[in-house]
Amino acid sequence: MSSTAPETGGEHKVGEESFEPRIIVFCCNWCSYAGADLAGVSRLQMPPHFRVIRVMCSARVDPEFVLRAFQKGADGVLVAGCHPADCHYIGGNYRTRRRIALLRILLQQFGFDPGRLKLEWISAGEGEKFQKTIVEFTDTVNELGPSPMKGGD
Amino acid sequence: MASTDKVGAVMVVGGGISGLQSALDLADSGFKVYLVEKQPSIGGTMAQLDKTFPTNDCAMCIMAPKLVSTGRHHNIELVTNADIMAVDGKAGDFKVTVKRRALRVDPTKCTGCGSCAQTCPIETSDEYNENTKVRKAIYVRYPQAVPLVYSIDKDKCIGCGICAEECKAKAVVYDQEESTSEINVGSIILSPGFDEFDARLKGEYGYGVYKNVVTSIEFERMLSATGPYFGTVMRPSDGDIPEKIAFIQCVGSRDEQVGNEYCSGVCCMYSIKEAIIAKEHGGDIKPKVFFMDMRAFGKEFDEYYNRAQNEYGIEFVRSRVASVFENPETKNLVVKYVEKGEPKEEEFGLVVLAVGLRPPEDAEALSKVIGFDLNSDGFCQTTALDPISSSKAGVFVSGAFSSPKDIPMTVAEASGAAAKAATEIASARDSLVTKKEYPAELDISGQEPRIGVFVCHCGINIGGVVKVPSVAEYARTLPNVAYAEENLYTCSQDTQEKIKEMIKEHELNRVVVASCTPRTHEPLFQNTIKEAGLNSYLFEMANIRDQCSWIHMHEAEAATKKAKDLVRMAVAKARLLEPLENLTIDVNQQALVIGGGATGMVAALELAKQGVKVHIVEKDENLGGNMLKLHYLPSEEDPTEHAKALADEVASNDDITVHTGTGVKSIEGYVGNFKTVLESGEEIEHGVVILAVGGQEYKPEGEYLYGENPNVLTLLEFKDKLKKGEVKGDSYVFIQCVGSREEGHPNCSRVCCTGTMTAAIKVKEKNPDAEVYVLYRDIRTYGFREAYYKDAAEKGVTFIRFEDDVKPKVEDKGGKLQVTVTDEDTDKEVVLVSDYLVLASGTRPYPESEALAPMLKVPMTKEGFFLEAHMKLRPVDFATEGVYLAGLSHGPKFLDECIGQGLAAVARAMTILSKKTLEAEGIVASLDETLCDGCGICVPTCEYKALEIIVDKKDETKKLVDVNVGLCKGCGACVGACPSGALTQKGFKDEQIVAMIDAALEGVMDNEEVKQ
Amino acid sequence: MTHHSKKKHESEGEWEPKIIGFLCNWCSYAGADLCGVSRFQYPTNIRLVRVMCSTRISPHLVLDVFEAGADGILIGGCHFNDCHYMTGNFHTEKRVGLMKRLLKEAGVDEKRLRLEWVSASEGEKFSKVVTEFTEEIQKLGPCKARTDDMVKAKISAADDASETFRLKALVGKEYNLLSKGNAYGEEVDPEKLGGIIDAASRDEFERALILELARIRPMSVKQLGMVMDVPTDKILRHIVLLRQNSKIAMEHPEGFTPVYKTIAIGGEQ
Repeated sequence: MSSTAPETGGEHKVGEESFEPRIIVFCCNWCSYAGADLAGVSRLQMPPHFRVIRVMCSARVDPEFVLRAFQKGADGVLVAGCHPADCHYIGGNYRTRRRIALLRILLQQFGFDPGRLKLEWISAGEGEKFQKTIVEFTDTVNELGPSPMKGGD
Repeated sequence: MASTDKVGAVMVVGGGISGLQSALDLADSGFKVYLVEKQPSIGGTMAQLDKTFPTNDCAMCIMAPKLVSTGRHHNIELVTNADIMAVDGKAGDFKVTVKRRALRVDPTKCTGCGSCAQTCPIETSDEYNENTKVRKAIYVRYPQAVPLVYSIDKDKCIGCGICAEECKAKAVVYDQEESTSEINVGSIILSPGFDEFDARLKGEYGYGVYKNVVTSIEFERMLSATGPYFGTVMRPSDGDIPEKIAFIQCVGSRDEQVGNEYCSGVCCMYSIKEAIIAKEHGGDIKPKVFFMDMRAFGKEFDEYYNRAQNEYGIEFVRSRVASVFENPETKNLVVKYVEKGEPKEEEFGLVVLAVGLRPPEDAEALSKVIGFDLNSDGFCQTTALDPISSSKAGVFVSGAFSSPKDIPMTVAEASGAAAKAATEIASARDSLVTKKEYPAELDISGQEPRIGVFVCHCGINIGGVVKVPSVAEYARTLPNVAYAEENLYTCSQDTQEKIKEMIKEHELNRVVVASCTPRTHEPLFQNTIKEAGLNSYLFEMANIRDQCSWIHMHEAEAATKKAKDLVRMAVAKARLLEPLENLTIDVNQQALVIGGGATGMVAALELAKQGVKVHIVEKDENLGGNMLKLHYLPSEEDPTEHAKALADEVASNDDITVHTGTGVKSIEGYVGNFKTVLESGEEIEHGVVILAVGGQEYKPEGEYLYGENPNVLTLLEFKDKLKKGEVKGDSYVFIQCVGSREEGHPNCSRVCCTGTMTAAIKVKEKNPDAEVYVLYRDIRTYGFREAYYKDAAEKGVTFIRFEDDVKPKVEDKGGKLQVTVTDEDTDKEVVLVSDYLVLASGTRPYPESEALAPMLKVPMTKEGFFLEAHMKLRPVDFATEGVYLAGLSHGPKFLDECIGQGLAAVARAMTILSKKTLEAEGIVASLDETLCDGCGICVPTCEYKALEIIVDKKDETKKLVDVNVGLCKGCGACVGACPSGALTQKGFKDEQIVAMIDAALEGVMDNEEVKQ
Repeated sequence: MTHHSKKKHESEGEWEPKIIGFLCNWCSYAGADLCGVSRFQYPTNIRLVRVMCSTRISPHLVLDVFEAGADGILIGGCHFNDCHYMTGNFHTEKRVGLMKRLLKEAGVDEKRLRLEWVSASEGEKFSKVVTEFTEEIQKLGPCKARTDDMVKAKISAADDASETFRLKALVGKEYNLLSKGNAYGEEVDPEKLGGIIDAASRDEFERALILELARIRPMSVKQLGMVMDVPTDKILRHIVLLRQNSKIAMEHPEGFTPVYKTIAIGGEQ
């Protein structure tokens, strides 16, 4: 055990300071959170800049939470839910999809790159997809640099 | 409870999806359950599947919650790694001797952390992954296994001692011995599942010789994200992605040569599924399925089949493959087959063999030990009228052990078996279950939060990466944290005692544990704090193992920082936690059964036998329904007699009130508290509803001269005449799929093929010289029904296949009927002159279903059948609790399947009716009435119909949303949608989640790191 | 041994074997001393390194020295039951077994590694052993590690394999398992255990070599199979495990042949 995963999302220089992205991840209890656990059980390595907040269903993610996170300086927000047909609560995630689409438009109007908000379906069996999503999203956020709230662009 | 000589416990043999369902139903309705499993962990075959048809749900996602509930249930005792050695006694009081093979790991000490397997130097092939991966000599079957206890494979272990050195919990016990115990139960349910057919026995397909010939279950693992190739489809020979994949059906099924003449029932569908998933994984992959008859007979299966062809472009070839040869250079496979009389061959990169289902290896041993009969194919013997009972009283059967079947049928039967098992010992209900006593809850209202934080090392799983002492040290600095400590294993028994002591000593009123995942461990800690007098919702977890130390193994510093952040977030939420009350709802313990056919009668009787008062409503003047019209069963029982006997039994049962000649006018209420008004004006109060409204045979007016010529009859009409001896003639033509599998009615009606065989055989028996022709598209005599197909053919019935879109033509030729059909095999037109034309017409729902659906807030399919809560795992439930469905109103099916579902609905209903009160989930939505303006945006977001707009009682001009906590499942979808902030979710309140967000990002805006 | 002299010798075809001897302090080194005191003669090719016990010589040391260009390595220790450290030399014997297995995998003649028990009083034996061994190496010719990149890569892979926990664990336990029985109190069949270690050595070597080769550029299963001369289905099974352990990653394939690249080693040293 002497290796790391495809970990590109490391340090990124912005001007003089190094940039450590701050990412908030909302995971639904039944699929995505379980997928994140499976990534752990499978020891899949990924960059450590994200913090997971567990909710029962991705539909519980109030637009306010996303905006709050950005307001408090998050550089990216990822919402992860069950695949459309798998939702433990039958159809909750369909609503999530519509809500996130709207939020992205809203964010753009506030001068945020919509790429800072991402929605992904991750099932309880997709540990590797969780890893991949985190790696890629960390990369995206790294490229976008610090949030406009912190004087980035 | 009256004194009884029955034992209030059930043994379930086999811990696959079937056993899980039986165990949960019984344990939830007042019985102790011993779940005996051969393997060290439960889960069975379903746990190996990637996706499930026809919804492509991820199997593990839908199964894991059931696994966890079973593992946690205080009335279910898991007896794993065990075999049944002897059974004495009789129904109601069995004594079962069970031998548990040594795990060589102490299950009370093993925390499932997996350090042992990481260091074990012995690699061996992994059976869970069908030998496509390696596991160690100390292992768990799969990561989500229940119970999560490692065990040593003694055959492979060399006894090097490394795992024992590695295990900080000291759980490895090399000298553990096997143990034998006697368990006293009242009923036994057999659900040992099935074995796959050994594809080596079909030498012509080269399995075991050619690397790129794999079985369907191996392919299932290859498709899985947790399988060997992380979901990329690859050839085992060289890792290339196969451009062309051949699926060969009926390997070890419908095959006299290998002695399995039955149809395995599930392979057609799983092959379609595997082909679709393969295609989804790699768009360039071209799957081709070689089949004899496409048996897509289940609910919405044909639509799935159509999608496979039309949307996914999967090719289907009607042919039995003769042989497979490998090209030694490329390792490609040449498939040789005959299509329309022409020998053909085609090269493929990978060949998947759809292996059939065999009785489990130990079936014979089980049958001897327990004393029940097997059928001639080695499966458990049952009858059409009692499909759940074995030949031995008190011993019931469910799942593939009685005949090959898919998951939904298995789950329904599992519930049905639970009902039968419970009826046997109904007088002993609640006699052996335990109810835990907890101390009175401490009142913490008005208290400043005093949080205790327990940080786990998890051996070295966390401590090896995250600096646990510094995390605990940091926790002490957080506001409101009154106490923090580190533990080697926070989940160990001694730590639970420690937590309780610390709650007392430091007057803690909130507890945070930083360790593994709440998904598996939250209930344990919640129970601990409850034992110390705290409300169990005053608990929060920080996942610093699965989602921190294990995924940042090489970044100790960043991982430690993250662990501190996660603890800070958990503490921030904990500060705002409130005690939640599990509301109780009173339950009216009566049942309403709508529909007085076989399904409804069986359900009503079974409920009554368990002591429940039942009302049964039938719109006809008599009970009996379609069962009175069947006349013949292929298995020779007399359905009419049996229907009459059932009706008499129902009528004479004191606990059943029969309401015939009336329908339902209205139903109001929710689980435990329904109020129904009948058209007759009668009012009934009840706790559950079972919908068994049935279905009807389609009358094909205007098709094939039906209604114009008196000798053109539907199958049921023909049988009626046949029974009465009114059929006279020497020639008969049957046409299949009338009103099924066509525009508007795309699905199969499931029963018509077998019904046709029954009628054709009867005709031939009465008049061996009669000419009988069956014009068909696919013969779908699945399972053991294949024998009737064979019987009909042997008796001289001629089968002619016609193309899906070229229907036969019928003309009236002076009293005789002339049927013209194009034989698909020869492409030649065949003209048949016949005395009778029998139309195997489809099954349709009753229009009454449509009226009932809105009353009960339950959904329907576009064909008008009721749509269950989940196609796979909740076949007789609705999302609306307390409402169940069974029989033909769910979809076309056979009598035995209807009976099975009727019994299943009983078991599901008894999980409610066995209780005087129901406890609602504590995490539910709640409303701040002052903020709600009754806009109703939330109402459609609720899948459980728990929300309703009502008039404010205090202000008639105002509208409000009403949250029915009896129906709420606590997802929070409505809360996320509420525009005015009036709705909130207990346990996940806005301010609690916001506190976590703020804690996660503390100091970021000031551009200063949080002081740690 | 300078590069200068090496080049000169080779270009002139006057190759001289380079032999390293590791001798334990208490027996073999004393034996070598006695050899000198007694003026027994032996060829000049050997360079001696003194260690406290022969069991100090890890497979990594030996493989590293071969990788650096040695033609032969001699390990000298005490006779059984004479070890100053009780059982050190029993472990040495097992460890040399692993070294030989791995050398064989790497395509280096296992005769290039020799283990001899030489006591403090066996001065004459020492001269005999060194003379014989030098002749043997003369016969075998120069070790290809210096000239053949593939052999070098293979030795490097053997070195990595020797460092895996699995092989260290197996070989570390081998002596005790055989002499004292296993955790179940059973006797262990030496042949069976040998077979397990053989298979494990081969597997770990092949996995290490896959990582070695795929570090340079992405490789497909078929390419690896060809270069390594190992059946492709076996290569694929190794890849399955290496991916599971996050050691190698699949690069998304364009055609139908996926390629794999070794994941760069992270912080853990």
